[in-house]
Amino acid sequence: MIPTVAPTRADQTERTTAAAANARSAGKAAIAKFSRHRLLTSPGAVTGIVWLAALVIASLTAPLWLPFKTEDQDFTAVLSGPTAAHWLGTDELGRDILSRIFAAAAGTLGTSLLTVIVGVALGTVLAMLSAGAGERTEGAISRGTEIMMSLPGTVIILAVIGAVGTNIPVVMAILGILMSAGIYRVILGQAKSLQSQLYVDAAKVDGSSPLGISVRHVLPGLANTIVVQAALIFAVGMLIQAGLAFIGFGPPIPQPSWGGMIQGASQHVYDAPWMMVPTGAVLALTVLSANAIGNALGKAPNASAPHLPSAAARRQRAKAVAAIASAAPSDRSAKAHEAKGTLSVRNLSVGVDSAGPGKGVPLVTDVSFDVQPGTVLGLVGESGCGKTMTALSLLGLLPSGVSVTGGQILWNGKNLAATTDKDMEAVRGREIALISQEPMRALDPMFTVGYQLNATLRRLRGMGRAEARNEARNLLEKVGIVDAERILKTYPHQISGGMAQRVAIALALSGRPRLLVADEPTTALDVTVQAEILSLLRALVKDTGMSVVMVTHDLGVVADICDQVAVMYAGQVVENGRTEKILDNPRHPYTLALLAADPHANHAHAMPERLASISGQVPQPKDWPSGCRFAARCQFAGSACTDPVPLLPSGTGEGLVRCVKADQLAVEGMDWLATDVPASQVLGIAPKQATIIGKDLA
Amino acid sequence: MEVTMALFITKRLLMALATVLVVAVLAFLLVHAMPGSPGAVSLGAGASQDAIDQLNQQLGWNDPLFAQFFHWLGEAVQGNLGASLIDGRSISADLADRLPVTASLAAGATVLSAVLGIALGVTAAVRGGLLDQVIGGFVGLLVALPAFWVGVLFVYLFAVQSSVFPATGYVPFEVSPQDWALSLALPVITLAVGGAAFIARQTRASMLEALQQEHIRTLRATATPTWKILYVHALRYASLPIVAGIALQFIGLFGGSVIAEQLFAMPGLGQAVQTSVSTHDAPAVQGVVVIATVVVVAVNLVLELATKFLDPKLRAS
Ligand code: SF4
Repeated sequence: MIPTVAPTRADQTERTTAAAANARSAGKAAIAKFSRHRLLTSPGAVTGIVWLAALVIASLTAPLWLPFKTEDQDFTAVLSGPTAAHWLGTDELGRDILSRIFAAAAGTLGTSLLTVIVGVALGTVLAMLSAGAGERTEGAISRGTEIMMSLPGTVIILAVIGAVGTNIPVVMAILGILMSAGIYRVILGQAKSLQSQLYVDAAKVDGSSPLGISVRHVLPGLANTIVVQAALIFAVGMLIQAGLAFIGFGPPIPQPSWGGMIQGASQHVYDAPWMMVPTGAVLALTVLSANAIGNALGKAPNASAPHLPSAAARRQRAKAVAAIASAAPSDRSAKAHEAKGTLSVRNLSVGVDSAGPGKGVPLVTDVSFDVQPGTVLGLVGESGCGKTMTALSLLGLLPSGVSVTGGQILWNGKNLAATTDKDMEAVRGREIALISQEPMRALDPMFTVGYQLNATLRRLRGMGRAEARNEARNLLEKVGIVDAERILKTYPHQISGGMAQRVAIALALSGRPRLLVADEPTTALDVTVQAEILSLLRALVKDTGMSVVMVTHDLGVVADICDQVAVMYAGQVVENGRTEKILDNPRHPYTLALLAADPHANHAHAMPERLASISGQVPQPKDWPSGCRFAARCQFAGSACTDPVPLLPSGTGEGLVRCVKADQLAVEGMDWLATDVPASQVLGIAPKQATIIGKDLA
Repeated sequence: MEVTMALFITKRLLMALATVLVVAVLAFLLVHAMPGSPGAVSLGAGASQDAIDQLNQQLGWNDPLFAQFFHWLGEAVQGNLGASLIDGRSISADLADRLPVTASLAAGATVLSAVLGIALGVTAAVRGGLLDQVIGGFVGLLVALPAFWVGVLFVYLFAVQSSVFPATGYVPFEVSPQDWALSLALPVITLAVGGAAFIARQTRASMLEALQQEHIRTLRATATPTWKILYVHALRYASLPIVAGIALQFIGLFGGSVIAEQLFAMPGLGQAVQTSVSTHDAPAVQGVVVIATVVVVAVNLVLELATKFLDPKLRAS
């Protein structure tokens, strides 16, 4: 939800690397990159690495420093606790526990590593084979691993011990084979997605051998997952090995092993409980270390925010709301807006919360607009301009970690920005409703359409069972679904996208809202279905008199349905006014550019030969300049554009525009110049599409 | 819709059968790789080579491997797993006595892990903040603690320090349900510690993933009460991976019962594997491996069907 705030790690590293290369200090960059590596930012993982390293060094050098031989028996101190001579105490034969722990460490770690090597190697090779060699092979291998995973592994390992004896390396290697099935499962998905990358296809076309492709293109992409799995398997291997030793299948006596030592200690839990502690602690710490390393590496770098924040996050937000409420005491001058069904957004700012990644970064600044009852306002701009954030704030549904930082959202005169989540429940659905971009994902896949509609109607309208069922059917018919009875019984995955959007609209209408927030409601649909949904929305506005805030990047949609437009760029409104004024007579260079790139929006103009484009991308919120935020991409930018630009009357009706050169441009009547756009971009096959181009052409 | 489900069940049944068969072959081969012939194992160290050869002949040890396997399989499907080389007891009868012990252990531990794990995982995901971190740290610690060590700790705390529970031994249900429950308590809790931690992690991750789904926002936009979003919609969505995790955990706990049985001196399957492996009792090893596999595969099949039933995509397609 907030990719603009928290750029992917790859992005960051790329950027750092590039910057460093410029400064010709690649070495420094490598250090910087490494110090920000996930492993080193997790205290648990750092402790883990230090502990494992210390353990390995200590056990390898054990003969040099250990105070006792593992078999030295001190009959004067049998079953003793920690003493000056025996730091960790002694066992029932008076053997020094510290010495035995470290003498056993090398073997334990080494043989567990064997499990890791066998398991991970086999799992990875199988996964790459499956990913590369077509469905047949994949089916066979997957079937085989499924069988392996549903085996009682411990029992089988014991049977293996029956056959090969307590030959720990062999047993641990076979354990690795058994565990490879799980590793295969984890890696397969990723290997398949890597295998289907464009550059892999390119390599195939170039005639690279399948093996070469796997090793050169797929394996590197799997590296992190492999390391994560290795760390986790290492931990499991150690636990299983100790468990085997505990039940008497450890290395041959008198060789010490951790599991064997705990077994010995368990015999003396009555008279010398201390004996349990040192070995158990060392084993647990070692397992913890491996897990910590695996977890730190395996942490998804960009987990998306939950749509229902945790209780802790909600408390956080309640505080923010209270702050807003006290900062903006209810504005009595806003009396004029108290007319029923009027939305009036004043100087709204939205930002990332001060805790967490990207702290304090603003996402939306100083946004104002009004929506009169029965009218449609379009919020237009490229993605990353803050349109969706603005729209979601109207319902108090900003994602976790993002909240309103200032300004007012006046609905019937009530400031929704200062309303608690609890009180918003009276507004959501009943007064302001939401439909979103992907109707399939907006409906709960686990419940039927009928259940979802009925539950909503009963909640929002206080209907009884039978009444709700009737009304659900009526609503579906109202949104143009003919066989409503059948649709009520289906699950969302059984209906088409267009149908799902109609259901989602019916769901939104079920509380008879006065304002509908529509976040790109047609973007994910087929062109013909788009037109149907738009005309449905237009009809609903006419019939019910509700108003709509329509978020879109498509000026065609704006021309089709909106009365008013607010063009947003980089978190600001750069131009607003009546739709026909803005489409016919744009005053802001960004609006001009959007129009030039989308000739269909304005039917009055003929299709140009070459499409204009806007080079570059919307800047990341943390990179917003203090001057005009569009300056880096503007064809008319000049020295005056580096100062903050206010929103001023544009001279066309009530419209406002945020550009220092707006008047000058209006006089000179400049055009956004078409630049050469490579055909690949027009066809939409370029890997990174940085420019806006006419969507309809694609 | 009936057809897909029936087809699915048939496929799974065939897979289960294949699994058991693969294990039967594997167990057979492993047992044949064991050191010492059955005659030697059965007659002990002092026996003459002639007597050993004669017994081997009698047991069919010198027949071709194929013949031996199919002979064993033929008997096995009729419920006869042969006789122990050590004491001549019927292996089937012995395992029939032991199965309830291990089944109670594994089932009890699975249920307890599921209850504790789901409670912890849901709490962590729903409450967030400090509580989430505390639970996360606690669960991370539990995952790392070896079950046998935890078991000894419990013995020390509950049986040695305060004799709430018996330290060792098993009382059959028929003898005294109350003592049965008491005798199971410590081993079940011991096994459930790790299991609960695993399921807690799985649950937390699944709940968080459920809460990231866009339909949660739709529910909020239609003023669905928070408790209903969490415990009806999100938990329902998360139930698929959680049940899958429980199925996986059962396999692990079934294996883990070897350790619990050893630690608490319980006469279950695990103890049987351990003794028969130590004494090279080939037919007993073979029998117990196959029985353990049958149980695990059957329970998995049931749980997998349950997951599929929870999934409307499969149920309704
Ligand atoms: S202020 Fe300057 S840079 Fe910004 S849009 Fe106007 S001309 Fe372009």
